[in-house]
Amino acid sequence: MDKRLGAMDIKAFIGILIGLVIVIAVVAVIRLDTTGEKGSGLGTDFEYNLEQLGKIDPNLILFEESAKPINTGFGTTHAISIDSYGAIYVAGDNAIRVFDDGGKLLNTIELPEAPMSLTVETIESEDSTTENLKIYVAMKDHVEIYNSQGKLLAGWKSLGDNAVLTGIAVSKNNVFVADAGNRIVWRYDTDGKIINRIGQKDEDRNIAGFVIPSPYFDLAVGRDGLLRVVNPGIHHIEAYTFEGDLEFSWGEFSSGVKGFCGCCNPVNFAILHGPDPAGADDSFVTCEKGLTRVKIYDPVGSFVGVVAGPEQLVEGGKVETCDTPADCQLGGFDVAVDSAGRVFVLDTIKNIVRIFSRIEDTS
Amino acid sequence: MAEKSKPLPDRRKFLAEAFRYAALGTLGVIGGAAFAKRYRMVQEGKCVESGLCKECSLFEKCYKPQVWQIDPYKCIACGNCATYCVLEESAVKCVQVYPVCGYCKICFGFFEPEPYDINEGAENQLCPTGAIKRTYIEDPYYEYTIDESLCIGCGKCVKGCNTFGNGSFFLQVRHDRCLNCNECAIAAACPSGAFVRVPADRPYLLKEVDHA
Repeated sequence: MDKRLGAMDIKAFIGILIGLVIVIAVVAVIRLDTTGEKGSGLGTDFEYNLEQLGKIDPNLILFEESAKPINTGFGTTHAISIDSYGAIYVAGDNAIRVFDDGGKLLNTIELPEAPMSLTVETIESEDSTTENLKIYVAMKDHVEIYNSQGKLLAGWKSLGDNAVLTGIAVSKNNVFVADAGNRIVWRYDTDGKIINRIGQKDEDRNIAGFVIPSPYFDLAVGRDGLLRVVNPGIHHIEAYTFEGDLEFSWGEFSSGVKGFCGCCNPVNFAILHGPDPAGADDSFVTCEKGLTRVKIYDPVGSFVGVVAGPEQLVEGGKVETCDTPADCQLGGFDVAVDSAGRVFVLDTIKNIVRIFSRIEDTS
Repeated sequence: MAEKSKPLPDRRKFLAEAFRYAALGTLGVIGGAAFAKRYRMVQEGKCVESGLCKECSLFEKCYKPQVWQIDPYKCIACGNCATYCVLEESAVKCVQVYPVCGYCKICFGFFEPEPYDINEGAENQLCPTGAIKRTYIEDPYYEYTIDESLCIGCGKCVKGCNTFGNGSFFLQVRHDRCLNCNECAIAAACPSGAFVRVPADRPYLLKEVDHA
């Protein structure tokens, strides 16, 4: 009797053992990650996480999205500008598209190559219609000028193979062109004749030169008659006379909201000329890449507030950074302002224009 | 004078020859089918990714020895390269392409996103293994080099450099370490399909200066 029981026990034991082995094998096969979807298994020290830095104190956000985004219809976009009548000009692919602030397409100007930057000059005349506009377009190595019907008025001489033009501004009879490739600003007259270079390294004039690690190099002319140029590698905005004398600069590195983050920021900026929309006339609207932030600084560079942070500039409010290198290199948004103090942000990844207005102070 | 009638072929010899020709014919059909399949793969760009080696001939793309490599434009630096390689220390390492590098003073491939200070202190460094060396060149430029003996291929610096900089840091399979497995474990686990086969005599896929 005992002997038979012992034999049964062994059989049961072997059965249980085989069952266990099968269960373990099935579990192992199910848990096997052949696709990598379960992640690398590395600890948090190995993660690159910008989520905390991307969160912005809501009290610092002074603007809100006030209209539906404008879909530009471009595959790639580079720059945005607003004319004095409020029309929105977007440079992308091989064209410039003009929209009203409701997103209606008003005009398309076909170009022979991809535009890098643009600005629109209003010519003072008695007849104040949109006919009096000149559109200055910076191509990779030269400038082209069009009228509002898209007729080519002039094409200036190439600045050579090294030129990478990334910004353009017009003031009176001067045209300033930011050249990231040669790391200088070219000053032209309106006929396309080079007058002088600005920002070239010159110890006698106390000019250290521009540090431009990536092709983002923007400029604008302030109402005080000084040219403002970004020096992205040292996180500064510098003020120059038209003759090229460095007057002053402001800006500092910080991943916190008050400074400029990353290796080279801001990538683009605009100057608010409206009736004191952000607490100070002639405030600066800056745009950063990496941690995409649009912020306001007063004319001497003190932080005023935020137009939009990563949570406002991506769908769903999730702080995201780019995945592929191609996405990352598209992440330099451009910014423009209109006379009402609204801020227009060109999202160069989604190729849309977002419109932000100042939040009314109800207190 | 009558003609001598030819002897009938030997039955066994006849069958042996028939089998031999049949076998040769079968081999020919199989070979032809294999070649056609290979040719179709070349046409469809499946042999060696066509975009990666524009100047490669059809022979190079399909019949030369091939090795595994990471397409830097597809890699999302997920970290899987550090843990899925069959080697204890991954064959994937970070590399630096100097013509693309901005030589930034504040390199976000080197520094933590919120560094305490801008110096080489360990607490400021992004790399968990301290594999990146920062060397002063002239104000405000610094050179960044990878110590491959310390790099584990986690891609954290790649993510930082891509997000804020020019993307001069990227991951590559180092062929002095890679065993060139037929079925690469990292390739199977790569979520972005960045692992590709390349000709063994051109085993690296370097980034070009297309944006710097």
